[in-house]
Amino acid sequence: MFEIEITENGIVAIDGRLDAAQAVKAQQFLDQVTGQCVLDLSKLEYISSAGLGVFLKTHKRLMGSGSGIKLVNVNHHIHDIFRYSGFDKLFEIVPATG
Amino acid sequence: MEQKFRRTFDELKNIVTMTEAVFRQQELPAGLRNVVDLATEELFVNMVTYNTESEEDILIQMVPHEHGIEVSLTDYNVERFDPTSGGAVDVDAPLEERTPGGLGLFLVLKMVDSIHYEYRNRQSKITFVVDRK
Repeated sequence: MFEIEITENGIVAIDGRLDAAQAVKAQQFLDQVTGQCVLDLSKLEYISSAGLGVFLKTHKRLMGSGSGIKLVNVNHHIHDIFRYSGFDKLFEIVPATG
Repeated sequence: MEQKFRRTFDELKNIVTMTEAVFRQQELPAGLRNVVDLATEELFVNMVTYNTESEEDILIQMVPHEHGIEVSLTDYNVERFDPTSGGAVDVDAPLEERTPGGLGLFLVLKMVDSIHYEYRNRQSKITFVVDRK
């Protein structure tokens, strides 16, 4: 299961598993985003390198216009993936609490 | 447990279903799941993406053992490609120099406890182990 949507407060919420089969759907959605983008990952259960590639491509595009992606509510496992990938040095990341 | 999968990313959900069944039946620690899922996906996707001359299904075998689980992926009628000799990714590179390429295998090599590659009779077999920490 994978869902991506903009919530009423303008945050992009991702739910489920972002794997290679879902990366195209995620990329198509994020290609429509402009300006500063906050991604709520509180319901992201899993991410592979295909999902990381979607975040990287979108972040680079938005940084080109002076904005970027901020990742919030990042759980421990997902944060480990970001750390191993060096993404913790590229993105502003706010860990999940509790 | 073993199962064959078609050469399409659509099979990833069925691979997850197989992994869930193995973990449930063998009462394996849930903490190992994410690493097993990630390594299995990255290796499967690599075979589907780069071994394009083969039309044969890919075999996945999962064998629980005392300290965790051993997973093997076998691809048939393919050229040799050893993922264990993959190049390093510069995770300290600035954003403008970063690309997603190579990140999947880099993560696999970083996160599994051991990995082994065999190539015989045009069969590529990759086996990795994830242990309880």
